[in-house]
Parts: sequence; structure tokens; C-alpha cells
Amino acid sequence: MRIECRNVTFAYDEGGRPVPAIKGVDLVAESGSTVALLGPSGSGKSTLLMVLRGLLEPDAGVVVLDGSVAADKEYAHRQREIGLVFQEPETQLFATTARDDVAFGPRQLGWPADMVDAAVEEALDLVGLTGSEFGERHPYSLSGGEQRRLALAGVLAMRPKMLLLDEPFVSLDPGARRDLAAVVRRLVESGMGLMLATHDVDQAWSLCDERLLLVGGELVAAGDWDFAGAGAELLAAHRLRTPFFVELWRRLGRPLADAPRTVAMATEALR
Amino acid sequence: MRTSIGQYYPANSPLHRVDPRAKFVAVVALAVALFTRDSFAALSIYGAAALVAFVVSRVPPLWFWRGLKPILWLVVLTFVAQALLARGEAFYSLGPIHLTKRGIELATYLSLRLVVLVLFGSLLTLTTSPISLTDALAWLGRPLRRLRVPSDELALMVTIALRFIPTLLVEIEKIMRAQRARGAEFARGGPLRRARALVPVLVPLFVVSFRRADDLAMAMEARCYQPGIRRTRLHPLVARPSDFVVLGAVVAMIVAASLV
Repeated sequence: MRIECRNVTFAYDEGGRPVPAIKGVDLVAESGSTVALLGPSGSGKSTLLMVLRGLLEPDAGVVVLDGSVAADKEYAHRQREIGLVFQEPETQLFATTARDDVAFGPRQLGWPADMVDAAVEEALDLVGLTGSEFGERHPYSLSGGEQRRLALAGVLAMRPKMLLLDEPFVSLDPGARRDLAAVVRRLVESGMGLMLATHDVDQAWSLCDERLLLVGGELVAAGDWDFAGAGAELLAAHRLRTPFFVELWRRLGRPLADAPRTVAMATEALR
Repeated sequence: MRTSIGQYYPANSPLHRVDPRAKFVAVVALAVALFTRDSFAALSIYGAAALVAFVVSRVPPLWFWRGLKPILWLVVLTFVAQALLARGEAFYSLGPIHLTKRGIELATYLSLRLVVLVLFGSLLTLTTSPISLTDALAWLGRPLRRLRVPSDELALMVTIALRFIPTLLVEIEKIMRAQRARGAEFARGGPLRRARALVPVLVPLFVVSFRRADDLAMAMEARCYQPGIRRTRLHPLVARPSDFVVLGAVVAMIVAASLV
């Protein structure tokens, strides 16, 4: 799957007054690619994800999905192949069992019952909440981290090809972060495209090959990570910073191109 | 969502500065007077007063129009019902429909009265912030404390409820978008299907709201809130001579209107 934004502009309507949130954004995200959408709070990250998923309609510009545009018949179908997980998605859980909640999406798509069941079990497995153990539990009886993974399962059950995650690690304890990061890593390894909106540069660095930098609704950097000179300054100038491991490598005088992504990689390099 | 009933228009007009207690009492008195004296002369005095107050308030006409719009059907209904049901000598008949002079007069009178009433109500809410309005209600409700009615606590409850309306609207929008991302559709099917489609919105909304209410109660206790004790105010209500002038003018107007 390939998402392409061409000159996308969006403004919120606040009492008849337009408040611009996204200004002329061009970008490409594909299955198999892992892109971090970085930006300080209020830079338009969440809005951009909603525009990509089609929950908000751009005022100007187009979002092209696998070559099709909004006027095409298959466009709505393409939009459903994009899985968007909102911030603190556990607040959307509403069913009385974990299984039922995950089944909501597939049922809305009108899938036959056996297909829904298969998708639900598959999604629960993917997030590490096996159906036999968690399926009949009440969502609110799960821990915070489990609830968040359950909400992720609710999106995965619709079998998306691209996954848009909006600050998925916010307010999770370290254990829950590790569990969720492992789930995301497994999804990426299976070929799922990932766009991760966050201001947590360490998490972004550990999961994503590329990065977009959104500031005040405008894209100011795209493509591979770049910490040489201006790249690092750009992050610092917008209330972000270079990832911990990159900074460590810089201070050690090691080549930044070899900066490790994870503790395991760093240990290996420094041993 | 775009209705102005109960909405506040922040500005610094002479009417905004009048003590909220005086405004509230004046509007209640005018509403009662409007309905106790049936005469075109009285109505035109009140109507003129409403227009003057409207000009003084510096609130854009559009805001009054928004307040009137939701009750327009009621005005029309009142007019039609009165025009058709009144007895008397018909000056125009079409089948079972008889229009009488008396009927048209009564219909005009009653629907105009409704419009003037809404204008007065809008003037109150548009020029008085919800906070000062509840302050005024708390003050006016003080005598009820003898009857063990917790007027200050009720006022605080209303203030908090008003404060959280915008928060809830934002919350609803957020949850609806999230469920739409999961394939929910809210605008499809008959009423039953639409109602059922709201379950995935209402359940999370209730959970979030109760959690927030609980947090707020805890936070208030942590900041030493105690029900039942007398509190001082950051902005105490102070009646000025001009407030009594306004009240006096309203009383004079009501007396005049009841004499004409």
C-alpha cells in the first residue's frame, strides 16, 4: 500500500474562523516503510494522521491511496486499509468482553461471522492477548497496557496494510512500553507499513528508519534520519532533541551513521 | 450546536456591567409582567424597552437571531393556532378555515409576546457570564438555606457543569472520530440503527466523564474544599447605585405598562 499526500492543507473551523493546522504537506508512506512523524505538541501530527485516514477532508490538495483519489469507487475501500490508532485508544473500549470489542470493526465492515472470528483471534494473538486467556475478560478489568494493546487489536482486526499510531506509548509504564514496542516491531517485521506520530525521539529512533518533522503544520524535514549539523539543530530548535544513543555516539566521537537503535545494539557495539 | 440559548457574548457594554442579580430579578419581573397584562400598549412598551436594551448591549443582532431560531416554530404554531381557533365574525373563509379580525389580533399579540420574552431571556444570558449568573442565583437562593437548601453548593454544581460542557463536546468529537476509524457510521440507517450506533460513543463518554468527575472531586478535596461552609468570593457581587437605577427603571416601566 502507498499513501501519497500532495500539497495537503487543512484548517479547523472554530466558530466560523478557520484555524490552519496542516499547510501544504507533501509526503509518501508505503507498506514496509517505517516513518516517524515527529513534531512538538500542537504541530498538527494528529490532524495529519486523521487526514491521511480520511476522517478529516483536506481543504486543498489530495491524499492518493494506491493511485486512487477521493472520486474513485475503490477509495473508501483503500481508506479502510489504513489502521489509525488514536492517542489513549483505551478510552474507546465499550464492549463487555475483549473479543466483542475487537470484533466491532470487522462487523462494521460487514464481514461474514467466521471471517470476523478468525480476524479477532488473529488480532488478539498479534498483540499478545491470546483469545483463550483474555477473550472473555471485561476490557476495563485489564491493566492500562493491556487495554491499549486491546485497542490496537481492535484496529488490527480490520487487517490494515498501513498502521498509523498516534503517540502510542504515552502514559504507559516501562513494562507496558516494552510489550507494546515488541508488538509494533513484530508487525513491522511482517511487512506492515508504520507511521508513528510522537515527540518521543528515542522511541521513534528505535522503531523507524525515516522521519518526518512537522512544525506548525508544515513539513520541514523528510526522508532518512540526519544528525549531521543542521539535522540535529532542526530537532533542538523545535523542542525536540537528538535520540539518546545518537547523542552518546556523538560525544564518544563515533560515526553517527553507526549509532545503535537499541540497548542490545549499543551493548554489542561497545563491548 | 449553533444555538445561542444560554450563550454568553463577552463585551463591555453598560448592560454587561449591571449586577447579575439585578438583571436576573428584572428579567423575571418583566416575564411575569408580560404575561399578566394583556394589552398591545403594554407589549409595545416592553418591546421598545427590549430594543433599547439590545442596542445598549452591543451584542451583534445575529446572536439574537440564533436565540430566536429554535423557538420560531413555536411562534408560528402559536400564531396559526390562535388565528384559526378564535371565534367571531369571519372576514375570510375557505372551507373549514375562518379568519376573524379578533383571531388575527390575538395571534399577532401572542406570538409577539413570545418573541419579546425570548429577547429578554437572551439579553440576560448574552450579557451575563454563566459564572456570574450562577453567583447571582446562589445569592438570591441564600434565604432558602434556612430550609436546608444548599444554595451555594447547587450554584457550584451548576458552574462546574457549565464549565464541562465544552470539554464533553470535544470528548464526544474525539470518540466519534476514533470509532469512525474503526468503521462506525453514525449517519446511516433508521432511527433505531442510529441510536444503536451511539453505544460505542456513549459508553466511553460515561466512563471518561465519571473518571473525570472523580478526579475533580479528589482534586477539590486536596485543595481543601468542604461543602457546607461559608466561602468568600474572588469577585464579590457589589451592588452599585446604577444597579438600583436599572431596577427602578424596570419597576417604573412595569407600573406604566399596567396603567396604559
